[in-house]
Amino acid sequence: MSRPQHRQRRARPAAGIALVAALALTATACGDSGSGGSGDEGSGKGKIVFWDNNGGVRTDVWKQIIAAFTKKYPDIQVEYVGIPIADVQKKYDTAIAGGGLPDVGGVGTAYLANMVAQDALEPVGDRIDKSDLKGKLVNGMVTSVQAAGGQGKEMYEVPTSANQGTIWYRTDLFSAAGLQPPTTWSAFYAAADKLTSASDNKFGFTIRGGKGSIAQALEMMYAQSGIQDFWDGDKTTVNDPKNIAALEKYVGLYKKATPEADLNNDFVNMVAEFDHGNVGMLQHNLGSYNDHLKALGKDKVDGIPLPPSQDGGVRTVVSNPVDGLGLFKSGKNKAAAWKFIEFAASAPMNSLWSQSAASIPANTGAEQDAWINDSRPTKVAMDSLNDPNTKIVQFPYYLPDWNNITKADTEPDFQKVLLGKMTAKDFADELAGKINDAQADFAQHHKK
Amino acid sequence: MAIAVAKHPVENRRRRTRRLPYLLIAPAALLMLAFIAYPMISVLYYSLQDYNVTKPWRNGFAGMSNFTRIFTDDPQFWHSLNFSVRWVVVEIALQLLIGLALALLVNQTFVGRGLSRALVFSPWAVSGVLTTTIWMLLYNPSTGMTRYLADAGIGSYGHSLLSDPHTVFWAAVLAELWRGVPFFAILLLADLQSIPGDLYEAASVDGAGRLRQLFHITLPHLKDAIVLSTLLRAVWEFNNVDLLYTLTGGGPAGQTTTLPLYVANTGLDGHDFGYASALTTVAFVILLFFSVLYLRLSKFGGDRA
Repeated sequence: MSRPQHRQRRARPAAGIALVAALALTATACGDSGSGGSGDEGSGKGKIVFWDNNGGVRTDVWKQIIAAFTKKYPDIQVEYVGIPIADVQKKYDTAIAGGGLPDVGGVGTAYLANMVAQDALEPVGDRIDKSDLKGKLVNGMVTSVQAAGGQGKEMYEVPTSANQGTIWYRTDLFSAAGLQPPTTWSAFYAAADKLTSASDNKFGFTIRGGKGSIAQALEMMYAQSGIQDFWDGDKTTVNDPKNIAALEKYVGLYKKATPEADLNNDFVNMVAEFDHGNVGMLQHNLGSYNDHLKALGKDKVDGIPLPPSQDGGVRTVVSNPVDGLGLFKSGKNKAAAWKFIEFAASAPMNSLWSQSAASIPANTGAEQDAWINDSRPTKVAMDSLNDPNTKIVQFPYYLPDWNNITKADTEPDFQKVLLGKMTAKDFADELAGKINDAQADFAQHHKK
Repeated sequence: MAIAVAKHPVENRRRRTRRLPYLLIAPAALLMLAFIAYPMISVLYYSLQDYNVTKPWRNGFAGMSNFTRIFTDDPQFWHSLNFSVRWVVVEIALQLLIGLALALLVNQTFVGRGLSRALVFSPWAVSGVLTTTIWMLLYNPSTGMTRYLADAGIGSYGHSLLSDPHTVFWAAVLAELWRGVPFFAILLLADLQSIPGDLYEAASVDGAGRLRQLFHITLPHLKDAIVLSTLLRAVWEFNNVDLLYTLTGGGPAGQTTTLPLYVANTGLDGHDFGYASALTTVAFVILLFFSVLYLRLSKFGGDRA
């Protein structure tokens, strides 16, 4: 059956244009990169832009800090932009490539090296030395920041807080089951087992199988194995047999004491499951404390540091990323931006922020504030960090590849381990291989 | 001299007339150069480079090494390409069949036809992110359908169709169908309405039943619309990132990673823009090849040769 001629004539160009447009979307999917630019000190007045790297969750407290800042410096206006934590690195990368970086931004040490490598951040060591912050920042956090982005010397952010891995547990469920707090690994696994009754929709634990799974798995591995160093010479200890055994125990919880859906669990789903379901325990850092408080109340939840590898032995905790504030090189008003950083990192503001985030403050002047004693999990975490029997396993945040390796590169493999499609040993060996290669590449470059 | 003077205005007018079309298309051509040609050339350029923003010391001309790696040393490329092809074939086939059926249905005259048409087309008006959110809630083990089925004694608690390797593909297919079917229904309904009623009347008089009318009148008439819509939709489905990224993140264990999702992970998460550009170039060539082949085989535009 033939078609009218005018329809035929119209159809070809129309199809051609539509096809070219659709295909062009494929061909333009990956693009160029730019640079941060050199910026200017500016007049110290006017508008600055601030990106919060945990927008939404921390918006209220930042609005309070900004209001106090504007009261003290009425000639500086701060534009607040909240970036969801899951997207922050991509937003920074996009802005570095295409322009539009803020004057000040929240930066965690997990991606600090990436940003330093892209020449986006201004060194702030000299500014700190000339400011009221000199000598008032917790040494451990300063060291972490220097190690992560400045080859152990320079600081590319002002630390504001640190975090620590925590076992959150439902005190009401533990009491009802006659269980003691999971202060040892045997008590932890026994509780996970006892609190699980899948047919009644009750589970002892919720595991993070989706985004962010690797950092938590590593935390569980080192805490159980008791291995105190991330490196053995120039090779990582990730695939040490003790770590592999610990990983096997940890992933063994999946489906036995956890919901099957945990395979895709990211932070939001995992915390929601713990806060709104019948789940006995959750492993996450101090940052989720306020979520638990809101959902469950203080009398139904408590948090303790991950147990030591052996009863009475050394507690090995991994270095959680330090959060901080970065000053961007491309900023046109760095003098005003620095005033904001200095103000936000001052003792009263740092205390206010850390209380809201339930994290450990970086300003030593905030350490003795009353709220820390009221926030039991934060206090216990601080005490454990100051305990001489605690050893910190320093993750190599300085590796530009660290974030890629421990996220997009390896998260699918962790899901394979949970599904039984990959052994814990193969997983650990592969992860160790990537880390060793990245370290060798980094070391070779920095020798030159 | 008098003759020359008289010639000038005519020549000028002719020259202006010759230039005018170029001037008229110049803005569109410039926009296309800026927004299509430049990024395409840029991607091609970076595909021949080692370009990782976090490791500037490694950046430089890479020749064909990115392409060699794709074809000889990257199992994830083959896996994601394989998944993309499967995804496109299943989605397009189902969207076309269901879309055609719905278009034929709402083309009939019946009470409530307007409401039915609105219901059929409404998912197309919902944004991708909202679509994903709706389906994530439906598949959520605590609030979704599996929870209520478990309450009724069917299946188990804590189960999600998206985290089960055996069900994740069809769960994602279903969500995308919900969004994609209206596209076909709208396009095919528009073309259905241009079929002259006389043809069906004549066919009825000649004793042709509904099925014969479908195969001998309706489908031949819809041929160009079907070819164009399947082609466009196939390219879009191949490039699908938003729904799968938010619904499954390419998981579990990389099972639902399409080639564009792999490109996004390599470029945006891995910062390896050189390799991601090479992957993009390969995807572009594959799509171009199959698009041209499809148009040729389907003799798009009529029965001319």
